[in-house]
Amino acid sequence: MKLSLKKPLLNRRRYFQHLGGGLGQAALLSLLGRDLSLIGDESYSSTPDAAFDLKPNQPHFAPKAKSVIHLFMNGGPSQMDLFDPKPELVRNHGKSYFDKIAGEVENPESAGALLSSPFKFAQYGQSGMWVSDALPFFSQCVDEVSMIRSMYTTSITHEPALYKIHSGRLFPGHPSLGSWISYGLGSENQSLPAYVVLDDPKGPPINRNQNWQSGYLSPVFQGTRFRSSGAPVLDLNPGKEVSEKIIGLERDVIGSLDLLHKSQRHYQPRLGARIANYELAAKMQLEASDALDLSQESNATKAMYGIGEKKTDSYGKRCLIARRLVERGVRFVQLFIDGQIWDNHTGLKKGLLGACERTDKPVAGLLMDLRQRGLLDEIIVAWGGEMGRLPIAQLDGKKNEANSGRDHNKNAMVTWMAGAGLKKGYVHGSTDEIGMKAVDNTVSVPDWHATLLHLLGLDYAKLFIHKNGLEERLVGVEEPEVIYGLLT
Amino acid sequence: MFASRFISYFVIRGLVVCMGISLQDPLVFSAETVSQHDVLPILHLRCTVCHGRQKKESGLDLRTVQSILEGSKNGPVVIAGNPSASKLVKKIVEGKMPPKRKLVIASVKPVPQGELKIIQDWITSGMPIVKAGRPTEPFLSESDKAFWSFNPPKRPKISKLNQAEIVNPIDTFVANRLSEQGLGFAPMASRRELGRRVYFGLTGMPPSPDELDEFELDESSDPFGKLIDRLLASPSYGERWGRFWLDLAGYADSEGIQHADRLRPWAYRYRDYVIRAFNSDKRYDRFLIEQISGDELVRYDDPDAYNEQVYNQLVATGFLRMVEDGTYAGITNFVPDRQDIIDNEMRVLGSSVLGLSLHCARCHSHKFDPISQADYFRLRAIFKGAYDEHNWLNPGERRLPYGHPEELEHWQKNKASIDAEIAALRADKSLDEASLKKSIELAEKRRMEKPMIRALWDRGQPSPTYLYNRGDYLQPQDLVEPDVPRVLASSIGDLQVEIPWSGSEKTGLRLSFARWLTRKDHPLTARVMVNRLWKHHFGNGLVRTLDDFGRAGELPTHPALLDWLATEFVDSGWSIKYLQRLIITSRTYQQTSRVSSERLEKDPENKLWSRMPMMRLQGEALRDSMLYLSGRLRWEQFGPADEVDVSPDGLVMARPKDQTWRRSIYLRQRRTEVPTLLASFDLPVMSPNCVERPESNVVTQVLHLMNNKLIRQLSNAFAKRVIYERPDGIDEQLLHAFRLALGRDPNSQEMLLIKSKLKPLINHSNIETLQAFCHALFNTAEFIYLD
Repeated sequence: MKLSLKKPLLNRRRYFQHLGGGLGQAALLSLLGRDLSLIGDESYSSTPDAAFDLKPNQPHFAPKAKSVIHLFMNGGPSQMDLFDPKPELVRNHGKSYFDKIAGEVENPESAGALLSSPFKFAQYGQSGMWVSDALPFFSQCVDEVSMIRSMYTTSITHEPALYKIHSGRLFPGHPSLGSWISYGLGSENQSLPAYVVLDDPKGPPINRNQNWQSGYLSPVFQGTRFRSSGAPVLDLNPGKEVSEKIIGLERDVIGSLDLLHKSQRHYQPRLGARIANYELAAKMQLEASDALDLSQESNATKAMYGIGEKKTDSYGKRCLIARRLVERGVRFVQLFIDGQIWDNHTGLKKGLLGACERTDKPVAGLLMDLRQRGLLDEIIVAWGGEMGRLPIAQLDGKKNEANSGRDHNKNAMVTWMAGAGLKKGYVHGSTDEIGMKAVDNTVSVPDWHATLLHLLGLDYAKLFIHKNGLEERLVGVEEPEVIYGLLT
Repeated sequence: MFASRFISYFVIRGLVVCMGISLQDPLVFSAETVSQHDVLPILHLRCTVCHGRQKKESGLDLRTVQSILEGSKNGPVVIAGNPSASKLVKKIVEGKMPPKRKLVIASVKPVPQGELKIIQDWITSGMPIVKAGRPTEPFLSESDKAFWSFNPPKRPKISKLNQAEIVNPIDTFVANRLSEQGLGFAPMASRRELGRRVYFGLTGMPPSPDELDEFELDESSDPFGKLIDRLLASPSYGERWGRFWLDLAGYADSEGIQHADRLRPWAYRYRDYVIRAFNSDKRYDRFLIEQISGDELVRYDDPDAYNEQVYNQLVATGFLRMVEDGTYAGITNFVPDRQDIIDNEMRVLGSSVLGLSLHCARCHSHKFDPISQADYFRLRAIFKGAYDEHNWLNPGERRLPYGHPEELEHWQKNKASIDAEIAALRADKSLDEASLKKSIELAEKRRMEKPMIRALWDRGQPSPTYLYNRGDYLQPQDLVEPDVPRVLASSIGDLQVEIPWSGSEKTGLRLSFARWLTRKDHPLTARVMVNRLWKHHFGNGLVRTLDDFGRAGELPTHPALLDWLATEFVDSGWSIKYLQRLIITSRTYQQTSRVSSERLEKDPENKLWSRMPMMRLQGEALRDSMLYLSGRLRWEQFGPADEVDVSPDGLVMARPKDQTWRRSIYLRQRRTEVPTLLASFDLPVMSPNCVERPESNVVTQVLHLMNNKLIRQLSNAFAKRVIYERPDGIDEQLLHAFRLALGRDPNSQEMLLIKSKLKPLINHSNIETLQAFCHALFNTAEFIYLD
């Protein structure tokens, strides 16, 4: 990777920013205590060493939103069983359709006939948005939501489709959405990471930590996992066997040796940055623990998220932590669920209902809580998976039709967003009569990425890094379209 | 449509001259004629997986016009002028071919209407055959050809400088430019600093204080030269420099793509090959030839006749087998998936060896460099005998049964013993069915896999290569023949293809390419390599864009120096060690890293090489140093990768053996389980390779070094070692720990400071004091930054 110095990159770029002043100086003072006399010179900050940090950056234009909570729904939630009713499927239930779509089916050997939804749809709210009875809590929030029925992706396999939704490419190794946003905007809070991942204590999602990697951007932009129980961050706290007193002494020794070392080496900004990092590590311990301390919340709030109820406790806690993190200035918070609860190949009714029961109340609770605190005017909540599902049934090994599910579909998927800059109670785009394919106002994954960046004040074309002779972007080489139809 | 790109078409109603068959009754068709070049790519894409080389179902082979005309065992499949009576069309129209329920197993998609129409039109018009012309490409101008990096390096004259400080010609080039700015070399680094710099630089390991003492006090002639020679000969040298090459190759011990992230049990052989190649100073030209085309250098048909040379050359071809590869599963084994693999390998080749962003030309002709899309596809055609997206071998099939006799013997013994055990179990009538099954399963678990080599080899009979419009496999256009990029061919000549040995089925294309690449006058190969070697000693390349010597890249800071080094490299017999010795012994390398304000002002980006940059240890060197200091480093080379464990909270740690670990290069590099410490210190995510590691400075590094339990255990072991070696007195112990970790004695100010800070502990307990101090030392800037 090469950060080219020739081209007039955006002057707000952090490459040339250094920790010599500001935080660095503060760090020096607090680490140093009475040894101030040892400093030989001021930090000098004009050499072009690439130093990445999370200082807030100016966006490309006035943003609508300052942060994002991404509720990622692993597995591919079924559009025609949740948000996109298809009467034609009811009429044609049981009719053969496989031959027409054989090339679009991941498991052709188990493909069945057209399958109508086992759920009942009704209209809700002032907007009259259609939602199925699988989501009784969400249906009460539809007037806050911009629903996209016409999204599509480019792979019918989970792994590539996950890389696509998270990083814009079908291959691992590219920076994720949250990394790009952190790279573009930095963080409002210097004691917490810019990009926090709240994965499920029950287990990792498919593709594990590759979902939130920073690829060829600095690791400082990688998603940092916060755990909802135990020590919140990997290696955040020293083990119990070492006393705080000893840690304190060690910090003192390190700090003073490093300052002495630095004082003999002028114009080395990396040394100042390193000292500042030791300070940040200490601050993070306190700040992260505070953000995760849900005892500071009222019982009413916790109840709203379903905390304390068996099925919703875990996801509810993570939703509430997400709110507490964006309140503290974290730029991008991403929630994952273990495995792929939305991947209902068979047993659609039971499986989908189970996924809804774990998430519906917490998600609705989050939306209502954000609204009552006025936070929906500042942040975006985005809900969705990596793909959609087929209108035909997928049969189990015993060909038991009552236990049918649905196979993957890349041509149609549904996703919604709510919050700053987005229309409320609005439905965007549509699929064909059976929900096989997005046909009207279609939205590609890069379109969706470009729209999120736009809401945050970032121009997808200007957000890039030089690598192997290319300007690498989140959206790749294709020209995406910002979905202006969604925006207020 | 293919045909529309040609002006005239010599066509017959049967067979044609270009296929080696007599020409009759030539006709000129209109520009809209559909030809075999429109139809064959479709048949390759949709049909030849079952009707091609590997399988000929119903005796039908649809790869060439001739084989199409031969038909199946049930008779002809095409009837000229009558598509609806042609079986080829009928099967598709009826939806029987390709069989819908088998699409994923065969990794093919149905034939879309547009493609079907092309086949129908071709049959309707009597199956015309046209001779393909050269694809249209952007004009190659004289200024394109004149660009510096497309022309062979010229050995510059070395001007005589009357300076005492000139050690070798490198210094002449550097001093000349420095003096233009009124600068001379920065003062010499101290011997201690130099010693530490060169130890880490050549071996990735810290020197012992005694070694540094010896070097500092050595008054014989050329003590530095002696030290360098010793380090170049050390087995650790290959472990440090092998890693540099593994980054370029995109080395990984797993396939990636799917969540299962399947392991590559034999990948380590390639890692070992690379380490050995560096240690034995294998000629770089030979190193490349073996890695690109080892399978075309030697015959290996008899796996029982083991020969070390054959083994090495087959293992070497693992170089272009390192990218993520999900084709072991049907669903991630479609043609576009295979295309991505081939494209990524071209990316590896271009960025690591050629220093060109060739992959940019996959979808369109290069925006900056005179590399056309046809150039890109011609290059791919060179590799088609080995990587054919229409005749694919998945990772499990891309292995050759070849191993050292000892390995085979070991495997055979294991096989015999497991077989015997199972036979005995089966003979044991007292076992019920369930427990028999369970016992057999247990025995099978101990069965070794047969020794294999992950290799790349030419299989002959490559499918034709069509240029894909916008890189889209659904839009095949012009037929291209294997060759090297035009701009380089115009400079030093094109590909001279030879069959590897008479009677060989191999195309010999990759070997011919490798020979072309390692020509002495090649404009890029030597320059790109010496630039990288420079970069790893000086922090930056003479050309800063290591992987881009084209127009979008930067110009060399010292063009004549680059060319001098490149020609010197080739003349030395492509000796990497020779070149490194040259670099290190230069006065330029021996400058101090201390920056003065004058130097900073006159040379802000160090493009004049007016000082040594301060460098951070790579993750591997950091970890290896801590293991070494704590006495937990096990000096054991080569062999299968050391396993890692993933804790429930996601921490990835190397698994110890008797509380010891080997050097980091031997750790398993599974894509989804990257050891946490190395990951936070910039061990790259391979995408598809890494040409330059970033040097990040992030808080997760601090968290890990400060709070990780294993680091704490290691620093405690370090403290224990210090006490063992200096049983008496805390002062002696602190001093010793400091010397071991940082390679020098603390000065009085530092000693005072350390003691005053640790005072509350010193009064309390020696061991606790040392433990805290050793842990602190691992965290100091001086431990991780080299002067």
